[in-house]
Amino acid sequence: MKSLSRRSILSLAGTSATMLALPVARATPAAVTVYTAGPAGLARQLASGFQKRTGMEVKLFQATTGQVMARLAAEKANPQADVLISASWDTAVDLAAQGELLAHTSPNATQVPAPLKHSHYVAQGAAALAIVWNPKSGKPRPQDWSDLATPEYRNLVTMPDPATSGSAYGLLSGLLASDAYGWPFFERLKANGLVIAGANAQALNPVMQGAKAAVFGAVDYISLGAQAQGEQIEVIYPRSGTVLEARPAMILKSARQVEGARQFIDYLLTDEAQGLVATTYMLPARQDIAARRPGWKDVPLLPEQSGGPSRAETLARFKATMGSRG
Amino acid sequence: MAWIGVLTAIALLVVVALPLAFVVLQAVFPDLAAGSMTGAFKPVVDALDDDSLPGLLGNTLGLGLSVCAGSLALALPLAALRAFTRLPWAAFWDLLFLIPFMLPPYIGAFAWALTLQPNGYLAQATGLYGASLLFSRAGVAAVMVLHLFPVAYFAISRTLAALGPRQAEAARVCGAGPLRRALRVTLPMSLPAIAGSMLLVFALSIEEYGTPAALGKPIEFLVLVTSIEERLAEWPIDLPGAAVLSLVLLALAALAFLAQHRVATRRDYTSVTGKAAAPTPAPLGPWRLPALALFAATGLVAVVVPVGAVLATAFSETLSGGLAWSNMGLRHFRAVLAPDSGALQALGNSLMLACGAAVTTGVLGGLAAFVTVRRHAQGPAAGLLDALATLPNALPGMVVAVGMILAWNREAWGITVYNTPWILLLAYTCLLLPYPVRNVSASLRQISSGLDDAARVCGATPAMLLRRVVLPLVWPSLLVSMLMVFAIATRELVASVMLAPSGFDTVATYVFNQFIQGSPGTGMALSVFAIFSSTALLIALYTGARRRGSIAV
Repeated sequence: MKSLSRRSILSLAGTSATMLALPVARATPAAVTVYTAGPAGLARQLASGFQKRTGMEVKLFQATTGQVMARLAAEKANPQADVLISASWDTAVDLAAQGELLAHTSPNATQVPAPLKHSHYVAQGAAALAIVWNPKSGKPRPQDWSDLATPEYRNLVTMPDPATSGSAYGLLSGLLASDAYGWPFFERLKANGLVIAGANAQALNPVMQGAKAAVFGAVDYISLGAQAQGEQIEVIYPRSGTVLEARPAMILKSARQVEGARQFIDYLLTDEAQGLVATTYMLPARQDIAARRPGWKDVPLLPEQSGGPSRAETLARFKATMGSRG
Repeated sequence: MAWIGVLTAIALLVVVALPLAFVVLQAVFPDLAAGSMTGAFKPVVDALDDDSLPGLLGNTLGLGLSVCAGSLALALPLAALRAFTRLPWAAFWDLLFLIPFMLPPYIGAFAWALTLQPNGYLAQATGLYGASLLFSRAGVAAVMVLHLFPVAYFAISRTLAALGPRQAEAARVCGAGPLRRALRVTLPMSLPAIAGSMLLVFALSIEEYGTPAALGKPIEFLVLVTSIEERLAEWPIDLPGAAVLSLVLLALAALAFLAQHRVATRRDYTSVTGKAAAPTPAPLGPWRLPALALFAATGLVAVVVPVGAVLATAFSETLSGGLAWSNMGLRHFRAVLAPDSGALQALGNSLMLACGAAVTTGVLGGLAAFVTVRRHAQGPAAGLLDALATLPNALPGMVVAVGMILAWNREAWGITVYNTPWILLLAYTCLLLPYPVRNVSASLRQISSGLDDAARVCGATPAMLLRRVVLPLVWPSLLVSMLMVFAIATRELVASVMLAPSGFDTVATYVFNQFIQGSPGTGMALSVFAIFSSTALLIALYTGARRRGSIAV
């Protein structure tokens, strides 16, 4: 049974590969419109790789997740996008629940771990949330989240705003669900002078320059990239665990180029495209593609949570807890 | 003459009123984007019932008024010196004060943070730092004054220069001393320009996102525009809530507009009547050095410090390496110049769009000012045109962008500008139209309409009147405002991000992307290219314009 299904998947993959390899058959080279969050360089490379393979042009709109979502919302009267790649898993879950997505199971998704795929969306890659520490700060190397609530780190820690950064929200809800942390821990962080900065880069820049000593919950791939460029920072995965934030790719129900959109999602999970994802220091969604960073087994994770209070409730309480200045 | 009014009105309706109308509709009908009219007025009630609204309003008003006060205090002495005295290197100072415009607010604020925070550039150079000064309400206002004061400087100095010395001479003959002449004659005569430029500064400061977001957010100083952006950028997106808050912002600007309108139309400010009166700037004498010191100090704080921080970051191999010779290098410039980076293409796009925006706003804004001030449109119609040409200033770029998408992304149009670079030109025209309108209206109020009548009696057609009489007289104001439009358009970010067609980058969207991906150095390197190339272009335009006309610009 198992081998049969594997064979059928292989044959499916084979068929799709043949289809991908025959761009000539296409009468009019249609264009797929892709709205994507994430690195611009990666988006451009994926677009040109896809065009080489299929002959189909990719119309690209690349911005932050918030800007991509705002453009989608404003375009509702006359939708333009076929494929959406978001940096926040929640957006895919919500859009699927609202019936805004088309089901598509990619034959290339077999090596994607189960939590990172769904009938209507699949991860392109993932990043972990980490502590980013400036070794020149003269402060002891933090081992765990709680080290950043100690007096040594008083007024020296930044955190990306969970309201703007989907991944920081993932960490927040993960830590709240954990018995060791919860709201009292965030109250301690606040009392210790934690500053909530806007997006990831806004939290990271003061740490790179040395105005602050550490980021609480930075998306790791940006910092790993900065480190590779020679920035003297260290990315630390806390002992008690962190969360992985996957980047979902999905086809919108309003897509005009459905076939092209399916092919694009399939392309995202090819060896070539997953290899491109790896060059950004993200974790490729397929476990069989080598990552250029600590991989699936090297990052300790917080226990899986289910249920819990709504996003709006959590964010409102977070604002109230971290907002009032003493 | 009527056809000029009608054409201008149609253009304003398409460029400004159409997107604005869709913002209003979006505020009223929450599901408008999906084509549904259900649930009318729910977002209005919800947004106005929010308990954070009074605080946001108070912060916004406080910030706007303090930026106005600060800009006026800084710009008035500079403008008076520039207009009335033989200031050495006048053209140099003008160009220098255009540079703060070319620095996007989020980069300016970031540059200040890099300079003043602990272990920042100032601390690395001198051991001093001023983070608590910068990350405060006063710090937010001060950084905004430093890049908005040129609006007041240019408007006021051009109007004062156009005033000419005759009224003040008359007052002198009647025995008024210098102080009395300034307070009773010159100052009141320049009120329209002061009021007009304060209106622009107020609207710009309540609309600006970059500075409050970068410096205000860490201290929880929130204003309306940061709240609007949150609604548009946080999942789930709240288009209707953002539209309602934008209308609140617009209402604030409308109040400011009414106040300005009262000042500008209460009296007759005519000073240019056709009698020759060459402006005779006074020699500075012993005040030469102090005057130059004032200009130099302003230039140092408003231009040299932030641009210096941008340069330092662009030339540093790493941010963590700090200011050290071993850390200097061209890595970021190589990244920008790499053939597949697309950075230079983005620069070309921005420069071209900025030139286009300067020309379209110049023509449309100049005509709108002429039609309203000269009453070729009557009564409420004139007021409406004037308001239409001014209010976009208070609309956050993001909201104009949403209005544009709602208006132009419709299948019903058949062919549409949406998803082409033309929509960016349209958006820039809408956002930047107020500069020429305010500047040219202020100078037209000083020019006697007797000159128009004289031209008409001599048989001039309306086109000849505009070209041979009105245009030469308002040219200094018009040119300076077009240069401002150019400078701002080269760096407009928020509307550009939302409206850029696929695969089309501008400098601002490119730089912003580098920022969010954690490579500020590369972003700064392209900013350096952008600042220097737009400055070079400005110098070329400016000297060209000075040579062509014999008018002092």
